[in-house]
Amino acid sequence: MKITMVKKIFADGSPCKKCGEIEEKMRAAGQLERIDRTVVADESNEQSEGMLLATEHAVDRAPFFIVERDGESAQIYTVYFKFVKEVLDAETSEEEEIAEIMNDVDLDFL
Amino acid sequence: MSSITNIVDIDSELATQSPQEILRYALENFDNIAISFSGAEDVVLIDMAYKIRKDIQVFSLDTGRLHAQTYRFIEAVRNHYDIKIDLVMPEAAKVEKLVKEKGLFSFYQDDHKECCGVRKIAPLRKQLLTVDAWITGQRRDQSPGTRAEVPVMQDDKAFSRPDDSLTKFNPLANWTSKQVWDYIRANNVPYNELHDQGFVSIGCEPCTRPTGPGQHEREGRWWWEEATLKECGLHAVNISK
Repeated sequence: MKITMVKKIFADGSPCKKCGEIEEKMRAAGQLERIDRTVVADESNEQSEGMLLATEHAVDRAPFFIVERDGESAQIYTVYFKFVKEVLDAETSEEEEIAEIMNDVDLDFL
Repeated sequence: MSSITNIVDIDSELATQSPQEILRYALENFDNIAISFSGAEDVVLIDMAYKIRKDIQVFSLDTGRLHAQTYRFIEAVRNHYDIKIDLVMPEAAKVEKLVKEKGLFSFYQDDHKECCGVRKIAPLRKQLLTVDAWITGQRRDQSPGTRAEVPVMQDDKAFSRPDDSLTKFNPLANWTSKQVWDYIRANNVPYNELHDQGFVSIGCEPCTRPTGPGQHEREGRWWWEEATLKECGLHAVNISK
């Protein structure tokens, strides 16, 4: 199994806060060691490897994870808690999961 | 159905179709599908869906903090269409804990996320575990900053069951507020009386206010929080659309 993490930097060169938070969380949990490659999606450069991967896999969120297993098509995870639960077999709390969803979901239509 | 390629392809095909055609596709391809009804102008979805299939499943998140007018409206819709509307409520213990620790209006000091997490997201997650697909009234014009690319059909990774897929339909994605209201008037669809009082976007009572001429509807929601762009999206600045 090969895992690629794609994180984003903004067009002005500043790092994506959410990507940094997730990376830090993974570092603290010892999960970063399970990542084979980290690739940058540079919003100012559509030819950056991360942007190309986002286009290839029809992803519009960051960070995201590409999980490749022999003989299988790549699996894409845009939700961190799903990735760590399903791929890394790690535990996450409901509070953490809800907090992550809250960052990605607009609530005014509910 | 659940592969990314399929969903992207079907989304592209549906993107040019009317809300009714998108709804028809959704209702004909998923038996276990539910409409999320907020108690506002997304009532048009119920009207459109009811004309396609009478046994539609509808649920509303009852946060416990909705306006009395919204509760009356939900009841009016239930009676008008003679349908069941499941009111999905937050877990009492979690609400009690939040209120005990932080009071009834903590969102004005912190932000709305903790309260919405307890009152909306947790019950929504539980509800969505029971369906294969859901339908929302999300429109692109509701929040140009964060919702400019709402597809009409998407693979909902945030709320899907473990190792399973959940499909989300946004049939009104390409419609404007004006088109929604034209439909409501042309079809005599019941609507929330708060709209006549200047409310455009309607949510919980403490977090919703009327908007004035020229104000965007999002200015009527969580107005005390700094308007910040969500930063998780990927947007190449030099990609020509």
